[in-house]
Amino acid sequence: EMEAVEFDDILDDWFIESLKTYKDLHVYQLEHPTQVIEWTSEKTVCVTGYSLSKNEILELRLPLKLFADENKGLCAERDFKVAHGGFTDGPVRRLRHIPGTRCVVTNDGLSSDLQVWDLGGDDSDVIRRTGSIAGRRNVSERGSRIAARLSSPPQVLHGAQSSDVQLTELTSGRTLYKLETDSTDPLSFLQFVSDTVFLAGCCNGSVYVTDTRTSAAPQLSPPPASSGDSVLWWADASVGPHPSSCRVVRLSSSGQAVVSDLRSLGGGAVCQAQLDVQERCCNLDHIRVSWAPTLDDCISVSGFSGVVQIYNTCGWSMELQERQPLFQHRGHVVSSQQTDDSTPVFTTAHIWHPERPRTLLSAASDGSVHVWDWVDPEQSAADGCWFLY
Amino acid sequence: IGKITGCVFPLQGAGQDVGRSCILVSIGGKNIMLDCGMHMGYNDDRRFPDFSYITQNGRLTDFLDCVIISHFHLDHCGALPYMSEMVGYDGPIYMTHPTKAICPILLEDFRKITVDKKGETNFFTSQMIKDCMKKVVPLNLHQTVQVDDELEIKAYYAGHVLGAAMVHIKVGSESVVYTVSVNKYAKSHISAWIDKCRPDILISESTYATTIRDSKRCRERDFLKKVHETIERGGKVLIPVFALGRAQELCILLETFWERMNLKAPIYFSTGLTEKANHYYKLFITWTNQKIRKTFVQRNMFEFKHIKAFDRSYADNPGPMVVFATPGMLHAGQSLQIFKKWAGNEKNMVIMPGYCVQGTIGHKILNGQRKLEMEGRATLDVKLQVEYMSFSAHADAKGIMQLIRMAEPRNMLLVHGEAVKMEFLKGKIEQEFSIDCYMPANGETATVTTNPSVPVDISLNLLKREMALGGPLPDPKKPRTMHGTLIMKENSLKLVSSEQALKELGLNEHQLRFTCRVQLQDPHSDPDTLHRIYTHLKSVLKGYTIQHLPDGTVMVESIVIKVSSSAEDTNAKVLLLSWSYQGGEYFFTALCIVKRLMYQ
Repeated sequence: EMEAVEFDDILDDWFIESLKTYKDLHVYQLEHPTQVIEWTSEKTVCVTGYSLSKNEILELRLPLKLFADENKGLCAERDFKVAHGGFTDGPVRRLRHIPGTRCVVTNDGLSSDLQVWDLGGDDSDVIRRTGSIAGRRNVSERGSRIAARLSSPPQVLHGAQSSDVQLTELTSGRTLYKLETDSTDPLSFLQFVSDTVFLAGCCNGSVYVTDTRTSAAPQLSPPPASSGDSVLWWADASVGPHPSSCRVVRLSSSGQAVVSDLRSLGGGAVCQAQLDVQERCCNLDHIRVSWAPTLDDCISVSGFSGVVQIYNTCGWSMELQERQPLFQHRGHVVSSQQTDDSTPVFTTAHIWHPERPRTLLSAASDGSVHVWDWVDPEQSAADGCWFLY
Repeated sequence: IGKITGCVFPLQGAGQDVGRSCILVSIGGKNIMLDCGMHMGYNDDRRFPDFSYITQNGRLTDFLDCVIISHFHLDHCGALPYMSEMVGYDGPIYMTHPTKAICPILLEDFRKITVDKKGETNFFTSQMIKDCMKKVVPLNLHQTVQVDDELEIKAYYAGHVLGAAMVHIKVGSESVVYTVSVNKYAKSHISAWIDKCRPDILISESTYATTIRDSKRCRERDFLKKVHETIERGGKVLIPVFALGRAQELCILLETFWERMNLKAPIYFSTGLTEKANHYYKLFITWTNQKIRKTFVQRNMFEFKHIKAFDRSYADNPGPMVVFATPGMLHAGQSLQIFKKWAGNEKNMVIMPGYCVQGTIGHKILNGQRKLEMEGRATLDVKLQVEYMSFSAHADAKGIMQLIRMAEPRNMLLVHGEAVKMEFLKGKIEQEFSIDCYMPANGETATVTTNPSVPVDISLNLLKREMALGGPLPDPKKPRTMHGTLIMKENSLKLVSSEQALKELGLNEHQLRFTCRVQLQDPHSDPDTLHRIYTHLKSVLKGYTIQHLPDGTVMVESIVIKVSSSAEDTNAKVLLLSWSYQGGEYFFTALCIVKRLMYQ
């Protein structure tokens, strides 16, 4: 659509800077904001609405231009394609793709029940609900977390609190495993680190390490030492070739980031830092922390404001020092379409591309979705002015 | 007034990124062809729409009431000369003034490429283009055109390219609106006029309906980044453009960027481009969007600080530069000459801002060809960087929803070039707007049942009288019967009171009075009998107004009862009951009572 915008306006500082700071930059506007961006294949992602009534689930195909490496210049295609779409009756706050299938599982963030959807194939572009999985408790303040890994038959790991985490077989609904613990800490993180080992991270910062093969009690690691009381914690685990090489980063609501080895999760951190998160919003439901899949030592943080930050943990020490981000994506703040100035725009989700080292997708509360390939400022400084692309 | 249906079917083809548009609409007995495009992906007859759907043989004149062309892109008008001159159509072809001015240029260019360069034979000639354009009736914006007694059309600004129009077609009380795409500026004006005529069917192109578009800002960023990087390494940038395409906007963008970044490399604009563009923009200033118009007002189109007129000798100058040159597909002329000079250097770049027709150099390099055969068997090694940037402005998913939201059609019809399933979009439209959404495939007929609303005026007197009847105001759930007369005069309908109707029609009002005779055995005198009847009725008919009048009658509401002696039998009485048409409802009550009297 042609926009009647003055060129003088668009040539703002950020725009000019972006010519050097991003290799690629795509800016999209969804009809409704999403809290979810989840890969469903190498080239497709799912996004969903979170308003209290009806919403849409969309499976979007990423623009061809992003994947055309060799003849990139010859590909003009910059748009998302709505490959499949469906309607939900309520909000969708969590969505997980079940690897090896065309299924996704969703949760509304209000109850612990899950909805199961079929994304559809080539014959239809409609996403249909095929069933539901009951959580162990009916009502839950924060809703259930969902995790999955490749398995046959397909299974889904879910739970709202540490006491109700279970592994359910998707088609039969059979419970295959239950996390046995008495404490009822709400979860902020649930992830498989191998076929049989998963981590359940609680809002209070403690982490359960569980092996579904054993009937032994899960290992509980206490929360990291932190200065503040009543901080909430989120986490992400980097998945390496072996569970032992896996690292866990825990991020607190006050911006403290603690990195630990999976092996010695309880023993103490490898390093930590006080991040400069510039908190702008009080709703912490949108905090996300993630390891970069291919860049060693890099983590990404979003949800504190309208910015996505990337930090390099290499060089962090055991001391709680303040660290500055390696890169900040300010696109959502700068090009916000929000007319209501009272609530500043904030990021609601972000994910890394699994293979392209510096490509991320991020979403914000104004419905914007950005796809960006950032330039490492340290590397470009070393390279000088010759631009290779 | 019975059920009226509108039939729509696309005559267009399935295809890759560019399809062809040609839609046939049947409304109120009229047949209208919307657009007549050429499919650029085919080399044979598949590129033309399939007119056999209209008639197996013979000319189309008898089958079509008119043809309407929405804008000058070849996938919307490319098959027009073929249709009018080779298949045969002599009726009117409607399009806006700018479209009429630009179409023949594009058609001729296209013909040259196809026939001269590719050697095709089954194609229209230059003369056919001229003959076809003679049949064109140009449209002004917002001007109603009576195609015939019953069919009228009107064009509105759509804005996605110069001269693009949204067309409103009306036959009787049914209407159809057809649009390919609508830009933001036009949208802000749609609600103004579309309120008055919510169309029965809104037809829109939906090739991009399932896309979510990258922002214009990012496309422009990519353009500036590529130009800047090339200039920084000392390379030259060639931008082949069509005079009326994105050239002006890209120029303004570069000028602003050069100023901002304090860049020194020269930017040139070929003079042929300048003259043509100036000429057309001045001619059609009212048809351009805000941005271009503002530029024209502020300065002469091509009075730039950093952009100068090009001279062919400059192409050999050393160092970085940017050149805008025609024609847009590198198929001839200046842009091709410059391309030949610059192609061998990998520091240089060519940016193609639009689709290139098969057979052109532009098309070949966009398909990755790195060795080109030129005239005289010479080969050209393409070492420079080739960039394809699309600035096309078709409506995406959000745009279509906005369009429907504003136009509020009763039915939606989406036409698309790809045989792609769009069940989700159909469901979305049906759910959000509670209207039917049709998506006919090629050659498929979509029959849309329209329920035209019939406007009726009501006389003030009648309205006042009904309100004076008192009681609670009519409840939408409990309708109250209103009595009046419907008069149809000169295409208008009016509801008036009966008295007014009689007056207008010059008729006399008649009164209907019914009478009934009942025989009673009663030896008393007439007045006595009457009095007994009166007393009896008064005791059994509670709640009714019963009067004993001095003229020797009893009245029950408006029923009059008279008593007279029977001529044959002195002991018998004849009761005469009479009532007017309005009083009839009480008749049966009275009769029952009287009959009871008889058996007293």
